[in-house]
Amino acid sequence: MAFNQEAYKELELIVGKRYVTQDIAERECYRSIMAESSAHSGPFDGETPIPGAVILPGSTEEVQAIVKVCNKYDIHFKACTTFWSVMGFVGDEDSLQIDMKRMKKMEFHERDQYVIVEPYCIGAVVQVEAMKRGFNVNMAGVGCSSSTLAGASSWVAFGPSSCFMGVASENFLAVEWVLPNGEILRTGSLGSGGDWFCGEGPGPSTRAILRGTQGTAGSFGVCTRLAVRLHPWPGPTVLPSYGTIPAYKLVPQWNIKTYTLNFPDWDGYANTINYLSQNQDIAYLGHRQYNMWGRYIKLAMIKMLLDPDGQLADVPKYMEDPFIKEQTEKCRIDLQVVIVGMTKRDMEWKEKAIDEILRRVNGWKNEFMLQPEVQDWVALYLLRLGHKNLNYTLCSSYEGSGGLSNNVFVTSQVMEEYHQLREEFDKTHNGLAATGGDSEMGALSTLGGGGITGYEFFQWFDRHDRSSIDDCRDFIQNYSQKLCDKYGFGTDMGNWNNTARHPDTGYYYTQEEQNEMFAGAPQPYLFTYQFLIKKAFNPKDLCGSYYRTLDPACLKK
Amino acid sequence: MALKDFRAMMERDSYCNSCKWIPYDKIRSQRFAENCPTNLYYQFHLYSVRGKWQAAQTYLDTQEGTLGKDPLIKQYGYDFNSSPDFLESVQSCTTCGSCDVSCKVCRFNLEPLAFNIELKNEAILRGFVLPQQKEAIEALKKEQTLITGVKKADRQAWAKGINFAADAETVFFPGCKYSYDPELQAYARKAAETLINAGVKLGFMGDADMCCAGRAYQQGFYDEFNARADANIKAFQAKGVKTIVTPCADCYHAFKRLYAARGLNVKVLHLVEYLDELIKSGDLKFTKNVDMVVTYHDPCHLGRQGEPYVAWNGTEKKIMHQVHTWDPPRPRYNGAHGIYDAPRDVIKSIPGVKLVEMERIREYALCCGAGANTQVNFPEFSAATASERVTEANTTGADALVTACPWCEANFKNAVDENGNKIDVIDIIDLVARAL
Repeated sequence: MAFNQEAYKELELIVGKRYVTQDIAERECYRSIMAESSAHSGPFDGETPIPGAVILPGSTEEVQAIVKVCNKYDIHFKACTTFWSVMGFVGDEDSLQIDMKRMKKMEFHERDQYVIVEPYCIGAVVQVEAMKRGFNVNMAGVGCSSSTLAGASSWVAFGPSSCFMGVASENFLAVEWVLPNGEILRTGSLGSGGDWFCGEGPGPSTRAILRGTQGTAGSFGVCTRLAVRLHPWPGPTVLPSYGTIPAYKLVPQWNIKTYTLNFPDWDGYANTINYLSQNQDIAYLGHRQYNMWGRYIKLAMIKMLLDPDGQLADVPKYMEDPFIKEQTEKCRIDLQVVIVGMTKRDMEWKEKAIDEILRRVNGWKNEFMLQPEVQDWVALYLLRLGHKNLNYTLCSSYEGSGGLSNNVFVTSQVMEEYHQLREEFDKTHNGLAATGGDSEMGALSTLGGGGITGYEFFQWFDRHDRSSIDDCRDFIQNYSQKLCDKYGFGTDMGNWNNTARHPDTGYYYTQEEQNEMFAGAPQPYLFTYQFLIKKAFNPKDLCGSYYRTLDPACLKK
Repeated sequence: MALKDFRAMMERDSYCNSCKWIPYDKIRSQRFAENCPTNLYYQFHLYSVRGKWQAAQTYLDTQEGTLGKDPLIKQYGYDFNSSPDFLESVQSCTTCGSCDVSCKVCRFNLEPLAFNIELKNEAILRGFVLPQQKEAIEALKKEQTLITGVKKADRQAWAKGINFAADAETVFFPGCKYSYDPELQAYARKAAETLINAGVKLGFMGDADMCCAGRAYQQGFYDEFNARADANIKAFQAKGVKTIVTPCADCYHAFKRLYAARGLNVKVLHLVEYLDELIKSGDLKFTKNVDMVVTYHDPCHLGRQGEPYVAWNGTEKKIMHQVHTWDPPRPRYNGAHGIYDAPRDVIKSIPGVKLVEMERIREYALCCGAGANTQVNFPEFSAATASERVTEANTTGADALVTACPWCEANFKNAVDENGNKIDVIDIIDLVARAL
């Protein structure tokens, strides 16, 4: 098999020879090596297939023409931009990878408080341009280097700011969507000839089709433009920074404060999240961020990162520093919050609200994190969310394990058990970075005021070390998944995308295999619903298998 | 190191794509947020270090005969012959090091810049040398310069009549571009005269003044660089040189970093550092006003790559089971200690001059497009990069773009911005001279 050359000639006519390629090394770069991106898929040294060609369209019309060519020749295609997730890559050979990099226009509508973005508007640039206008946008937890459009349309995309701004599905307005058959659907208000201010109408609403909670995982054609909500930003129009690389810090602002809240127990943590979720005006951002490096090293890591000449080798030395040692122990259960005052009175009220919450849960503010330069570093880190690559710092690869739940009071109760599980694992295995058992990271994210809580435990491994890869897989499949099963949390995050390729043969999963997988799922009707949606919108199944479906005929009686 | 020694880094890279942007914390607008000249121009992933980390893995598998190590994945072998784009992505990289800085905001175990240069060397070892490169290397061997069409005999023409001290321990090293470019020779002269007039006992290598070959290294010509560097080190030692002052950013980097690694043990100063010292000590005084608003372009090899060499010979050591460290700790070279303040202090000290900044500055400045001789090897791409930078300069409203590198200067002088406008390009030597 090879890429259809008749189709290739037609693609050249659409974008010009400069923006389409079959060069073998060019195509090789559009393969996901699962240890190098957010895979949530074992085996972690796996790779996705190489595409048959890569194309860079420059407009919606070009995308539409490309998709029509794919339909004409039955070519599978996948559009992606920032390639953070395995779902953005093609699922089988001889497919067409559509790289949306050339589409990066932005259009602000200040009066109606939304911005229309094209795919290559990454979170950082949308935020930068929004702040100039007194606004901000919800930044997905994946970080500012990822596409705002991709997060809002195709995946969960909650993040630290979601406690104030809502998750992806709440920020998603009208969409311009090239359907898998090449038709263009303009949704919501846009679909009735109006503006982009509403995703529901007047005009066709596709919220339950395109969006939902998880999105379509890039498996339903191509979203070429999308409007997302703008939210109030009372801070400076440009985030002013100081400090030497890598310790960039925010110049202190009177109305921006960061605190690391500590709790004596997990009930205090859960109650605090509950207070902040139910009173969404208090925290502008909320995240358990730095624990991702591990419970024992998190403050030592920050100390090291504040030194331009810092080295990972310095971390053990900092861990022995009496002050850091004491504060790390006090920081066992923690939550970072950023409060942003709209007015002086508002700021005073938010400060009081945080203090009152801490009083109620017997919590305190961590003293190490109160140091001015630490506060300034944390403020810039969390507001911009520009340090995604710290996900790889310790030993080059990580996999998230754990998952999502709609109840922080349930998830918080498994934290210590998870911590113990990892501690025990580290006594007999050397493959994962042993930095403190509990390496949970999770945004204070809520859907409509109390829906989703993430609890993602970082498992740090070295892709260059076979035994390290094996240990990571072993932990997720034989330890973490069992904990998820025990508490009814469903599929462990580390196994979410295991349809990226089979563990032993082939690439992605057929409908028959999906039927087998989902027939016994706790909520099988979700997948039968998606089966019908797929049948209606993507009958030729041209966009990959990450959209999970179950043939209703296969439902277990 | 050889390319195969980068295997661990290739596998430890991530798909974060930070290498395509200036550090996210420093982004001030969408328009000037991207940093990689080749990725800006060619657009495909391959033209970024992220793409090359991945492409090089299969390339190495092909070379080493290990294709198909994963039986589930079809690998298609290739080399520079079967993938002309891979070759172009390697050869066109300006080695500006911007990806290196952005990567190291978070990463401690990757060396993108060194990898980019190693790939260039790999291409050369496999016989893939551009015709322009062949010519330049022949010129280096024959005339001791990488500039083609010039003669060694004409190298010192700019210095005629300058009263250099024969027994000086401080020597002025103009570099090839200042020595041969008729538009720039006057600045070399002004630089030397300014130092001498400020009381510096300044010498010159005379017949031993030859190419530093730093730009050969940038293109991956290790052997040619090493030969030239060793000869120059001997010449410096024979003359008893204690300090080298150069107005060229590439020469500065070559001496400070590359020669130091080969045993050169002298103080290396860029001219702006020396001028800054002289101004601050009162030995250089300005007498005229220069009413002008200027913006300053940080040359890659003076800025982020201008950090001092730190000798290191160690090995990887994992702690806490899997955390990567080095024993002893390895130098970071992340741009934290580049030369950024000295040129700015010089500019700001000139009466009447107002400095306004572009968005991409200091360690995350955009390349001028002339690194690794791309202005000769890939002129269209090089011009597009210069145009991108001139566009940025023009948005500041400055009257002129000032720089401290002759290669940047020459590239900018030929450039127009995206609206077809030029900008006055001023050598920092000239700016200083206007106020004396």
